[in-house]
Amino acid sequence: MNGLSYQAQKRIILLCFMSVPLALLALFTFYPAVKLVWMSFTDWDGLEANPTWIGFANFVEVFTNRDLFGVFLNQIPYAVVGIVQNAIAIVFAVILNSKLRGRNGFRVLMFLPFIMNAVAVAFMFQYVFDTTNGSLNILLGAIGLDGLAKTSWLGNTSLVNFSLASISMWRFLGYNMVIYLGALQSIPADMYEAAEIDGAGRWQKLVRLTLPNLTKIIQLNMFLTLSGALAVFDLPFVLTKGGPAGSSETFLFKTINTAFQFNNFGLASAMSVVLLLIVVVVLALQNLVIGRGGRDA
Amino acid sequence: MKKGLTLAAAIATLSMIATACGGSNNGDNASPSASASPSASASAAASASASASASASADPAADISGTITFLTNRTDMVDKEYVDYAKRFNEKYPNAKVEFEAITDLDKNTKVRLSSGEYPDVLLIPTIPNSDLPKYFAPLDDLGLNDKIYFSDYKSSDGKLYGISAGATTTGIVYNKKAFADAGITAIPKTLDEFYAAAEKLKAKGIVPLASNFKDQWPLYPWASEVPISIAGDKNLNNDRVNSDAPYAMDNPYGQGLTIIRTMYEKGYLEPDVNSTNWEQSKKDIASGKFGMYMLGNWVIPQVISSGTTSDNVGFFPLPYDNSGKTNVLLAPDWAYGVNKDSKHLETAKAFVKWLLEDSGFDDFAGFIPVLKDKQANMAQLTEFQSYGPTTIEAAADSEESTAVVNKAQIVKEAMVQEFVLSKDPQKVLDEYNKKWAAAKKSLAK
Repeated sequence: MNGLSYQAQKRIILLCFMSVPLALLALFTFYPAVKLVWMSFTDWDGLEANPTWIGFANFVEVFTNRDLFGVFLNQIPYAVVGIVQNAIAIVFAVILNSKLRGRNGFRVLMFLPFIMNAVAVAFMFQYVFDTTNGSLNILLGAIGLDGLAKTSWLGNTSLVNFSLASISMWRFLGYNMVIYLGALQSIPADMYEAAEIDGAGRWQKLVRLTLPNLTKIIQLNMFLTLSGALAVFDLPFVLTKGGPAGSSETFLFKTINTAFQFNNFGLASAMSVVLLLIVVVVLALQNLVIGRGGRDA
Repeated sequence: MKKGLTLAAAIATLSMIATACGGSNNGDNASPSASASPSASASAAASASASASASASADPAADISGTITFLTNRTDMVDKEYVDYAKRFNEKYPNAKVEFEAITDLDKNTKVRLSSGEYPDVLLIPTIPNSDLPKYFAPLDDLGLNDKIYFSDYKSSDGKLYGISAGATTTGIVYNKKAFADAGITAIPKTLDEFYAAAEKLKAKGIVPLASNFKDQWPLYPWASEVPISIAGDKNLNNDRVNSDAPYAMDNPYGQGLTIIRTMYEKGYLEPDVNSTNWEQSKKDIASGKFGMYMLGNWVIPQVISSGTTSDNVGFFPLPYDNSGKTNVLLAPDWAYGVNKDSKHLETAKAFVKWLLEDSGFDDFAGFIPVLKDKQANMAQLTEFQSYGPTTIEAAADSEESTAVVNKAQIVKEAMVQEFVLSKDPQKVLDEYNKKWAAAKKSLAK
C-alpha cells in the first residue's frame, strides 16, 4: 500500500470522499429525474407494474387541453407582483444600506417572513383575508373604508390571484432584499467617492452606478421570482383549493391533482417536464433581455 | 503510516457501503442480484430467510397465533384505545398478538406500500380498482359474515369478498337543537318547503342556517353524489353515467340536488361570504349555535360535540330533498379491512378482522353505523335519524368504467358544485361538464 505515489493516494482519498455525495446525488436527483422523463411517455396509473409506452400522447394532451395549459393565465399576477416585489426590494436595500438608526433591526424584520413555514404562513393569511372576521377587513373598516371592508379577497375571481401573490410578496420581499443588500455592500465605496467628486447627485448615483452594478443580481432575483411564479402551489392549495370556480388553480396544482387525485401519473410527469422546459425558456429569454440591457447601459 | 491508516479507513468505509448495498439487494427477492456481495452479508441474509421459513413452517394452519400488524389511519388511537384492543385480542386468542402502525395520508401511502410488495397483515384497502384486489388481498368469505354485513359486494371481485367495511356512515342534516328551538322551529322539516322555511326562521334569528364550508370544497361532496343518488333512489346512478354522453341536466337528479344548494345560496341561507369559510371554526360555530346546520355524514357528529357542546344538543335528520315527505338515504361504507394474501399468519389476521367487527367496539367509538346488520348503533343521533323512517340505499362501488371517465375528464365533483352555485347560468356549467364527460368517454372508447 505504501508503494503508491502521493498523487495516487490523494486521488483515492478524493474518490472515496466524493463517492458518497455523488452516489446520493445520483440516487436522489438524477435517477428520479430520468425516471420522471421516462414516466412522461407512459400511461402509468401509480400502481400498474408494467405501464404502456404511449409516445408523445401525454405532451400533446398538455398542450391541447385548455384546462391544463390555460391555468398559466392565473399565474400572470404572481409574475407581475414579483416584478413589483423586486423593485421594492431594491428600494429597501438601498435605504437599509445607508446610515440609518436601527437598520439591523429593520433588516431582521424584513427577513423574518421568509424563515416562516410556507403552510403556516398560508394558514395565517386565511385569518387575515377572511371576509367577515378577517383582520384586513376589520382594519379597513376601522379606518373608515366601509366600502372596501366587505371585499371578498379570496372569493373574487379577478382579485384572488393578486391576494395570493401579495402573500408571496410579503414572504419573499425580505429574501430578495437581503440578496440585494449583499450585492450593494460589495460595490466598492471609492466608485461612489469618484462619482461624488465628479458631481453626481443621489439619483445619478443610483441609476448610473448602483443599478448597473446590480445587474447580475437583479438577473438572479428575477429568475428566482419568475420560476417561483411558475411553480406556485402551496398558497392556492392551502387557501383556496383552486377556487372560486377554478380561478386560482396553478399549473403545479393541476399537476399534483392529475397525479394523486386522478391517478394519471404519466400525464402528470409530462406536465412536470413541460414546466421544467418552460422555466428553461424563461431563463434564456430573461438572460437575453437583461443581459443586453446591461450592455447598452 | 498515518496516510496508510487513513487509506485503510476510507477503504473500510467504502466496503461497508458496498456490503450494505449487497445486503439490501439480497433481501429484495424480486431482483436477484448477480453482483458478488461480501460473504458476511450473504450469510446474514441467508440466515434471515432461513429463520423466516422456519417460523412459517412452525405455524400450524388453523391455529390463531403469531404477531400480526394492523396498518391504520387512526393516529389518534395509538397508545390509547389500541393498547386496550391489543390486550383484549390477546385475551381472546392467547397465542396471538397484534401490533398497530398508524399512518397519515392513508390512501397514498398504502398504495405505495402495495406496489412495493411490503405491507402488513391487516390493512385498510386503498382506492384501487376492485379487479386488482386479488393481487394483494386474501378472500374473506370463510369468515362466514357475507350474509350478515352491509356492502358485501362493495370490495369484491369475481364473487369473492376481499374487504369488509369498518362501519357505515350516512349523510343528512346535523343540527344544533338549541339553535332550532331559539328560532322557533318546533318540528323537524319533512319536506323541502318546510326545510327552506326552517332556514328562513334561522336566518331571521341571525343564525347562519347551513354551514356549507363552500371554500374548502370537499364538504360539498353530498350535493354531487349522495343527494342525487337519494333523489334517484338508485345506487348505481353514478356508475350509469357511462351510458350517457350528457349525464348532467337541470331536471335530472344531479341538477335537482345541485339546485337545492344553489337555492340556499341565492336566498342567503349559507355563510355570508361562501368564498371565505373556515372548516375548523365552523365546527365551533355549529356547537355554539352561531351556525344552524351541516349537510354532512354522521362522522361529523362526534367532532361537533367535542368542539364545545353536549351530545343531547346535536341532532341528525335526513335531508328532505323534495316535497313528497318520503326520503331515501344513502348508506356508505368507511375504509374496508383487508388481509394481506401473503401474510405469514393469515388465520390470525382474519380472526383479527372478525374481532374488530364483532368485539372491538370501534364502530361505536368512531360513531359509525355497525356494518353487521343485526347490531344496533349506539349513538343517540343515529337513533333519532332512524326514527324519521328513511329508506336506506346501500352504496355501490364505483365502477371502473365510470372512474376511468371521471379521471380522464378530471372532474372534481365538489368543484362542479361550486361552479354551479356561483355561475350566473347554471345550465352552462352542466353543458361544460357534459362536454368534458363526452370527450373523455370518447377518447377512452378508442
